[in-house]
Amino acid sequence: MNPALLKLAVVGSRSSYGRLGGIAGGVAVGVCLLLLLWGGANGLSARDDRGAWLRETGLPSVAAPLTADPTASGPAMPVPLTADTVLMEANPVEVFRDRLINRRDVAALDPTTVKIPGIGSPPAPGRYYASPALQRLIEATPRNELGDRFGTFAGTIDDAALPGPDSLIVVTGATETELRQNGRAFLVSGFTTNPYGGSAAAYNTVLSIGAIAVFFPVLLLISIVTGLGAAQRRERFATLRLIGASPQVISRIAAVETAVPSLIGAVLGVVLALVLRPAAAQIPVNGTRMFAADLTTGPASAAAVVAVVVTASALVAAHRTAHAGIGPLGVTRAVHEKAPTMWRSVPLLAGLAAMITAVLIIRVMGVRLPWLESPLLIGGFVLILVGIVAIGPWLTRLVSRMGLRQARSAAGVIAASRIQKTPVATFRSVSGLVIAVFVVSVFAGGSSIIESTEAPPTRPGLLQPTSLHATVGAGSTPAQVADAARQAKELPGIRNAVVGYGPAALSERDAGPEIYLHAEDAPGLGFKDIPAEETVSVDTSFLWTTHPLALNPAPAASLDEMVPIVIVLGTDGTPEAMDRARTALNGSGITAIPANSPLDLNLQSTTRLIQGLAVLAYLGMFVAIAIAGLSLAVATASAILDRKRVLGLMRLMGMPVSVLRRIITREAAVPLLTVLLLSVGLGFLVAWLMVTFIDDTYRVTWPAPGYFMALGISLLLALGAVIATFSLIRGSTAVTATRFE
Amino acid sequence: MSTISTTSSVLSARGLHHSFGQTKALRGIDLDVQRGEVLAVMGPSGSGKSTLLHCLAGVLVPDGGSVTYRPAGRSPMETSALGEPKRARLRLTDFGFVFQFGQLLPELTAADNVSLPLLLAGTRRPEALRRSTELLERLGLNGMGTKLPGELSGGQAQRVAVARALVASPAVLFADEPTGSLDSLASENVLTLLLELVREAGTTVVMITHDARTAAYADREVIVRDGGLGAGYRVTA
Repeated sequence: MNPALLKLAVVGSRSSYGRLGGIAGGVAVGVCLLLLLWGGANGLSARDDRGAWLRETGLPSVAAPLTADPTASGPAMPVPLTADTVLMEANPVEVFRDRLINRRDVAALDPTTVKIPGIGSPPAPGRYYASPALQRLIEATPRNELGDRFGTFAGTIDDAALPGPDSLIVVTGATETELRQNGRAFLVSGFTTNPYGGSAAAYNTVLSIGAIAVFFPVLLLISIVTGLGAAQRRERFATLRLIGASPQVISRIAAVETAVPSLIGAVLGVVLALVLRPAAAQIPVNGTRMFAADLTTGPASAAAVVAVVVTASALVAAHRTAHAGIGPLGVTRAVHEKAPTMWRSVPLLAGLAAMITAVLIIRVMGVRLPWLESPLLIGGFVLILVGIVAIGPWLTRLVSRMGLRQARSAAGVIAASRIQKTPVATFRSVSGLVIAVFVVSVFAGGSSIIESTEAPPTRPGLLQPTSLHATVGAGSTPAQVADAARQAKELPGIRNAVVGYGPAALSERDAGPEIYLHAEDAPGLGFKDIPAEETVSVDTSFLWTTHPLALNPAPAASLDEMVPIVIVLGTDGTPEAMDRARTALNGSGITAIPANSPLDLNLQSTTRLIQGLAVLAYLGMFVAIAIAGLSLAVATASAILDRKRVLGLMRLMGMPVSVLRRIITREAAVPLLTVLLLSVGLGFLVAWLMVTFIDDTYRVTWPAPGYFMALGISLLLALGAVIATFSLIRGSTAVTATRFE
Repeated sequence: MSTISTTSSVLSARGLHHSFGQTKALRGIDLDVQRGEVLAVMGPSGSGKSTLLHCLAGVLVPDGGSVTYRPAGRSPMETSALGEPKRARLRLTDFGFVFQFGQLLPELTAADNVSLPLLLAGTRRPEALRRSTELLERLGLNGMGTKLPGELSGGQAQRVAVARALVASPAVLFADEPTGSLDSLASENVLTLLLELVREAGTTVVMITHDARTAAYADREVIVRDGGLGAGYRVTA
């Protein structure tokens, strides 16, 4: 191709520079986001890989020997600790304020061959290794609220074993006797590298869907910006055709003309991603920020993104130009959009069918076919995304047809007519926003199962949410327990300490079904109706039930003949007092399981798999909405530039600028509002399908207020994007500008 | 320079000056356009005739001089002293425009294109469409109201543009090379119909043309040369 011809075609005027700058800028933003998101997806995976060792569940530390009778087993015997194993116990409820601390207690022989990730040799009893974030927290908090739980600081856990810089992880050293006491310890000889355990397939599927949901608007943005100023380009190409350029030459020029700014933009995007990476790593996802290195995609990925974006934009430009009907005298044939038909609903229906099938296989047929379920779910999701973009123009056209019949004003007639004749082009302007709303609805629907977790009630007959309770370990004497209760009561914010008794510790075979206590202590547990006896009892399910229980009189029971089985500390409800109570109980040495409050159960809910995605949702919302707003502004500006001559002539004839503004606003509002409801409905349906796919006990409920805020922001952004183009309407259709067109 | 009478003129320009950067487009033009006349403005390319038309129509505000518009039954107004919103309103209510090409909205049917000025003026759509269809029929475009501009020939599209310019019964019609893109037969056809309608309605016409045959349809012609009215300024009717 003649370089001079190309130069003439590409950079002929100031507006050409503006157009090329717009394409380069838009592609730069798109590629930057694409790389950061890709890095983010890799980072999440790397993060989960680094934290995989925390999922190690080892082997049981006790074994029951076989007996002659196959239906019975002998008494459980401890499996001996050896030099190539460590005894480990996971504390499921190590909580500080409202944050869960990942705690592992370890006992090992000296020497041992087992290396703990990020630490090396296990800590000696009474010493601990903490993640840097936790150690900072310990140092910044009074010891009786946190530090006393762990012992003496031995060192920090290396970043290589931490999911993120904010991860709260602690590995404490303990004696073998301490860990064998409650039978929950397990023997570990090595650590797993599988970060998700049995739910890996579901997690990966949902993560893939999240990634696609966020990438799709970025691709839309790139597609929209590369089509900027199409009408101006057609005029230039017509001139070239007039002086003898063949259609093939024109197509090649169009390809190169788009490829050059796309390349500049893509390279800029790579540089921008590098510059913004440390800032992006500061965004907390699932409770922790990322290490900046986690967002690295590598030069090969960056090169691949640049190559794909540039090639795709060039090919699309060549294809569009070849089909634009550009002849020597301009656009020789009117390029009418083919009227969209009902067939456009096929991808959407196919996508829904695929997702529903995936859910039916697992929930109705009750079989697991991972090779089929994940492709169906991911493929279905992609088809729905494509389906919304495909069906949008059809629905928009239907609505605009009705609108044209009812139109009374010039703005109404012009806007409805344009939408009806060019529904695809009109819908393209708002497609980004419609997709963003869909994505946000999916995420909001998914998150709603976390939001819907019920707060524990405060009612008589239930453990009070402001109390901490722990079961007492076998072997703890009444004197030890009384001493611990007395010491705890002296702490600020601790209102009472109640000890419950039984025939044997709750972990023992002889444990009874009831907890006995002094009637005078009962108000400390929140009971109102107290039998007039010295001793009362309550069912042991009192420790976990959400249904209020009543106290029973127990006149015959003698607490002196029983052992302490549970201790409950009532607090004033302040976070400091709660943590002091927790620390006091866990450090007393009398508890069989760590102290916890009814509130703690929410922090270790089984919905944590989706919770990770819920945080991703906020990132997705931000990215999708921001891109969509940008896309709408670009597309609206493009629509104005493409029609600037005819709109300018209308203004010259006396059409007020306000009418032009109303036309542009209607052209954005009609397709947006038409498909918005569909997007919202589909978003929640897809969320429900995904949630049901993971676990059919989850329920999608009303979304959090943040969702409605996001929806409102989307609409405001749409309005803002359209308003932002108003100055362009005034400028590009000014009578003086039109005169020289 | 001929003597100019202002008593029956609908538009009067006095000492019009206008420049684009260093280029002087108009150099002190005085001109009166009589009510109901068809005035042809001729001249070579770059002589300033389009600038003159745009100054007369209130599209451009001249750098110097004034343009006075005298609507029937209303007080005269100096259009060059009005702000753009008022000039836009004036262009909408009192003036009509026909250009060489590219003036129809491609997505609107011919009838909708014609009805736009009425809708902008607040006429109800059914009434606007009725009047548009009537006018299209008078211009020989029976049954063409539902066609899109892309489905019309050049001559038909230009007649739609004429209909749009005249549908709101403007006092003055400004035409910039109205038949410049048409062949001679279509051109004659459009001009005949246009003049028939304007003469019937008493509409004043200011028409720019290169073509002497087109100018021959006018009552009077002026020639603009180097930003001034040239020696050929004469009355032909």
